[in-house]
Amino acid sequence: MAYPYSHPSEVRILSKYFGDPEARTLKGWEARGGYQGLRKALGMERGDVVNEVKTSGLRGRGGAGFPTGVKWSFMPKDSGKPHFLLCNADESEPGTFKDRELMRWTPHQLIEGCLIGAYAIQASHAYIYIRGEFFEPAQILARAIEEAYAAGYAGKDVIGSGVTLDITLHLGAGAYICGEETGLMNSLEGRRGEPRVKPPFPAVSGAFAKPTTINNVETLCTVPHILTNGGAWYRQWGTEKSTGTKLFCVSGHIARPGNYEMPLGFNFKEFLYDVCGGIPNDRKLKAVIPGGSSVPIMAADEIDVPMDYEGFVAAGTMLGAGSVIVMDETTDIIRQVGRMVDFYSHESCGQCTPCREGTTWASKIYRRIRAGFGTEDDLQTLLDISDNMTGKTICVLSDSCAAPIVSSIQKFRDEYLAVVERSEPVVAEIA
Amino acid sequence: MSVNDKNPGFAGDTGEFPNLTEADIRGTAYVGTRPLDGGHASVAGTMPYQLATRGPAEGPIFTGPYEERLAKVISRYPDRQAALLPALHIAHEVRGYVSPEAMEEVAERLQLPPAYVRGVTTFYTMYNLQPLGKYLIQVCTNISCNLCGGEDVLHAFLEATGTEMGEVSADGLYTVIEVECLGACGFPTAVQINERYFENVKPADVPTILEQLR
Repeated sequence: MAYPYSHPSEVRILSKYFGDPEARTLKGWEARGGYQGLRKALGMERGDVVNEVKTSGLRGRGGAGFPTGVKWSFMPKDSGKPHFLLCNADESEPGTFKDRELMRWTPHQLIEGCLIGAYAIQASHAYIYIRGEFFEPAQILARAIEEAYAAGYAGKDVIGSGVTLDITLHLGAGAYICGEETGLMNSLEGRRGEPRVKPPFPAVSGAFAKPTTINNVETLCTVPHILTNGGAWYRQWGTEKSTGTKLFCVSGHIARPGNYEMPLGFNFKEFLYDVCGGIPNDRKLKAVIPGGSSVPIMAADEIDVPMDYEGFVAAGTMLGAGSVIVMDETTDIIRQVGRMVDFYSHESCGQCTPCREGTTWASKIYRRIRAGFGTEDDLQTLLDISDNMTGKTICVLSDSCAAPIVSSIQKFRDEYLAVVERSEPVVAEIA
Repeated sequence: MSVNDKNPGFAGDTGEFPNLTEADIRGTAYVGTRPLDGGHASVAGTMPYQLATRGPAEGPIFTGPYEERLAKVISRYPDRQAALLPALHIAHEVRGYVSPEAMEEVAERLQLPPAYVRGVTTFYTMYNLQPLGKYLIQVCTNISCNLCGGEDVLHAFLEATGTEMGEVSADGLYTVIEVECLGACGFPTAVQINERYFENVKPADVPTILEQLR
């Protein structure tokens, strides 16, 4: 059974077995070359495993894009304390749906990555923090973890190496902020998922006040392939600074939504129009968000850029988690940005005043504008609030709320003005 | 097309893949259901907890297999407090919501102050604090689904069940709420009904879905 819409420009490494139910089972995964990376890693020094990942140039796929090997090398050597590896499977950035597919189709790929990662950072216990809504992926992963334990890939004396690697699946309970790494650690510890002030950084004092590394699902899924084939092999795709392949989740007004595994550096315009089939119903593109709701919006004339960490930054936005949200010419930008602001207002944990108040004010202003009671001054007020929400809080949730506000006012100011100058209130439109 | 033929995980128009059945894609036979005692300790804390079929409505929660499961969960963490979310999941699974009494029982089991447990419980949106309909219908109206008509689907559910947002329907079966991104943005509109996702839902599918739940 082929995964629908495979495109010749794709390079399917992580997503090769999407759509293949056999790959979910331990037997099926072993038959597809699974657990070779773990065997190889356990035969290497821990430092060499880290170096192999450094060589590959793999960067964190959760949004920040920090080099994974470098992150691992921050873990203290011989600290005498237990270390922990946390896998961030709290995928909840609007527009993102790659981790869910990775977990439901290839659970063993993630387990193998967690085991290798835990070994590399001298952890004997890895926790996979999966968001509470993902019952189905959690059940698939649970079954796979039980299989891995039964086959001796996890637990004491992993495949005869003498190394202990435990793995525990932990279900969240519905909070976007738990995808922030320190919020996730608090949630794992049985606290409210409120982000912590850094420093101390997780590598010094993370989960249970022990040295901790947190990696995204996609990052860890890539690790077994790097170990099996070598770091240099992975560099054959992508660019010098953005190596390898990345899953892009495409949603919104697009002919073929879904997950596409593309070599980094691929042209974004070609991606949207050729690989994903363009905008349906003969409509024109209006705007696109390239990395999930937290990154600045791009206007239609800005999309001729390479899809890599640097390319999107040069275009004034970010690669983020690779969550491409496409909006056609019929889209009401104010309504959609307002909806994103509502989301951040709902998900703010409330610790920091600029975020707790700012997201709520912004949400109210958007509702007022849409109801027809907006004024031109509201635009400046939104920009002022956004300024106060950027770089002034413990985590970046409020920055994420400000990004679409500021970029949409910059790029679609005329549309805002047309609405605030509208003479009659349109109360019925309030969502 | 019946709801079960709908494509619950692939991109695009399901009409192009007429041969894929629900079981093929979801692997129901493979996923199966988890044992009440939670199976292996490594995964004991991850049962679905918004189930239509629930445990006893009276008496202590942590007895029999549920007690076994809690013990397994506690064994996986350096301290008891870390078992708080999984313990609340169990309470939720058995009773369908987390009552003040349930919070007290969890607090006692984990040796935590009841007020602390309440503070944590109320932080998370998935712990329902009062009884809901047998089926909790959560409709995503966040950006990707919204672009493709998520709000229309929400209104269709509200209309078909005759409820306001968050209310229990007169027959006790349904509660419809709006939910933030479910992480299925390529398959709009994403709707979660108890532990299960329904994807590519259009307003016209709503009566069929409700009929199947009955």
